[in-house]
Amino acid sequence: MKIKKSQNESQLIIALEGRLDTLTAPQLEAELNASLDEIAELVFDFKDLEYISSAGLRVLLSAHKAMAKKGSMKVTNVREEVMEVFELTGFSDILTIE
Amino acid sequence: MIKRFRQSIGIKILAGVITILVIFAAIIGYTGYKEFTDLLLEQYADGAFRTADSAALTLNPDHIDRFIESKGQSSEYQASWYSMDQLCNSQNVTFIYVIQPDLTDYGHITFIFSTINKDSPYQVYEFGFYRETTNDEYKEKYRALYEGTSERELVIRDKGYIQTDPHITAMIPLKGADRKTKAILCVQRQMDTLVAFRQQFIRKLLLVLISVAAVVILAQGWYLYQMMILPLRKIKDEAERFADENVIAPEKLTETIRTQDEVGVLADSIDRMEEQVQQYIENLTHVTAERERIGAELDVASKIQAGALPSLFPPFPDRSEFDLYAAMLPAKEVGGDFYDFFMVDDDHICLVIADVSGKSIPGALFMMVSKILLSTAVQNGLQPGEALTRVNAQLCRNNRAHMFVTVWLGILELSTGKLRAANAGHEYPAICRKDGYYELYKDRHGLVLGGMEDICYKDYEIQLEHGDRLFVYTDGVTEATDSENTLFGTDRMLEALNCCQNVTAAQTIELVRNSINNFVKEAPQFDDITMLCMLYK
Repeated sequence: MKIKKSQNESQLIIALEGRLDTLTAPQLEAELNASLDEIAELVFDFKDLEYISSAGLRVLLSAHKAMAKKGSMKVTNVREEVMEVFELTGFSDILTIE
Repeated sequence: MIKRFRQSIGIKILAGVITILVIFAAIIGYTGYKEFTDLLLEQYADGAFRTADSAALTLNPDHIDRFIESKGQSSEYQASWYSMDQLCNSQNVTFIYVIQPDLTDYGHITFIFSTINKDSPYQVYEFGFYRETTNDEYKEKYRALYEGTSERELVIRDKGYIQTDPHITAMIPLKGADRKTKAILCVQRQMDTLVAFRQQFIRKLLLVLISVAAVVILAQGWYLYQMMILPLRKIKDEAERFADENVIAPEKLTETIRTQDEVGVLADSIDRMEEQVQQYIENLTHVTAERERIGAELDVASKIQAGALPSLFPPFPDRSEFDLYAAMLPAKEVGGDFYDFFMVDDDHICLVIADVSGKSIPGALFMMVSKILLSTAVQNGLQPGEALTRVNAQLCRNNRAHMFVTVWLGILELSTGKLRAANAGHEYPAICRKDGYYELYKDRHGLVLGGMEDICYKDYEIQLEHGDRLFVYTDGVTEATDSENTLFGTDRMLEALNCCQNVTAAQTIELVRNSINNFVKEAPQFDDITMLCMLYK
């Protein structure tokens, strides 16, 4: 999985490419832990994300909870396969998906 | 033994020292010998030339032709010879003689005067004695004296004196009034004293050198032995001992080897290396033991987890209304998936399938908690939605690791076939109507348990008829992955489920498992694979 970050003042856009699963989720979690301090708006770009597993959902949930306290988080460009998972797990109800 | 002797550093260094001393002695000996010889020869030659100069005064070179005419019988010749003879004895030279070489090639000489010391064993040459010139060296010197390129010549014969004793011959030209050389006067002087002195000198010099060398070698040897060989041998013995025993020595090397030089540094390094190796071995032993302990504990944990899932089939042998089977294949020693089923009362059976977002120990711990909370809630008479709502609230409390669990929970009323269920972010159940095919039942989804607080889960109801089947599973089934990252998916799962009709619940699960195995082949299993199947008779 590839992680591309671009920061614009307090807005952080994270674009993921590949699979967010048990093997790659810790990578994203470490990345978020290191960079969320100054951020008020977190945007995930899932245009190139092919697959998300429960381990990946857990990282999204952690980020969602962290951002709920100090700003906002949204997920954009979600593919059909990933959207299915969001719907299945009820994440589509709590995440802001555009 | 010989090999060890040859390989000893001490022997090598000593051999080097001896070689250097021998070269040193040879240079000193040779220089001394040469200096000594040169000095004595100079003195000898000086004396011989003084005698020659004196002897030259005893005759008149311009009269030599007359001496030859008289064949050495004239009174003047006799007087000259007599003076020369006296000089020969008084100056302690061996031989004074006057010769005329053959001027064409200087190959022969004719003796005109010849006097000999009375103490020498030699005989005088008679007047006019004619013989071959001794060698080319003499020829060259005669020529030089005759042609006027040199005023004095010296021949040294100190080698090969087996036939003649070692001697020098000083030669001067006898020149007439016309400045032309008429004859050559030679003074021969024995060098036996010089040779004897020189031998003595060499002998003394060698004696001194050998004594010095012996002392130096002994001193150097002793010093080397004390300062290097002994400590090095100690270090070597210690290193060998440590390699065999792997135990630190009771006495450190630096306690006996206290120098600050390379040997001391080496000893210190060995000491520190021993400590570090020892420490490393201890750490490794500790870590290995720890790992074995953890391995053993994981083993026990997986047994406990397996024991927590009902595994006796058929689970309720006296109930004929249904056929039930379930299986879990953990990806690691302990997994995060679980299934559960139990009779709530005589007419209601509860079915649960769940997937925790994490594996190994954290997943297993969360799974155990979730399983117990769920069964407790249902046993307390809560409906599926109520049970999920309560367990979600319980799990959200202090959920620091942000773990969550997806759950499908259903309660079937056996007498009527009414199935009440609720879904917290879990996969869609598959339902097969009597004589039909398995299809996904797109039920209403709530969020996963433990994700957010204050979420309310709603029940839904399905009416099952006799002969209907229910299949629930975790994402380990649909997301089983082959070596090219292709997912098994729900289509392949439904295909496997529908391939055979009229099979038991256990056979259904076996069919899906085989289908997964054929699909993923050698690719490793990343997620737990859990399935539960019920046939409502």
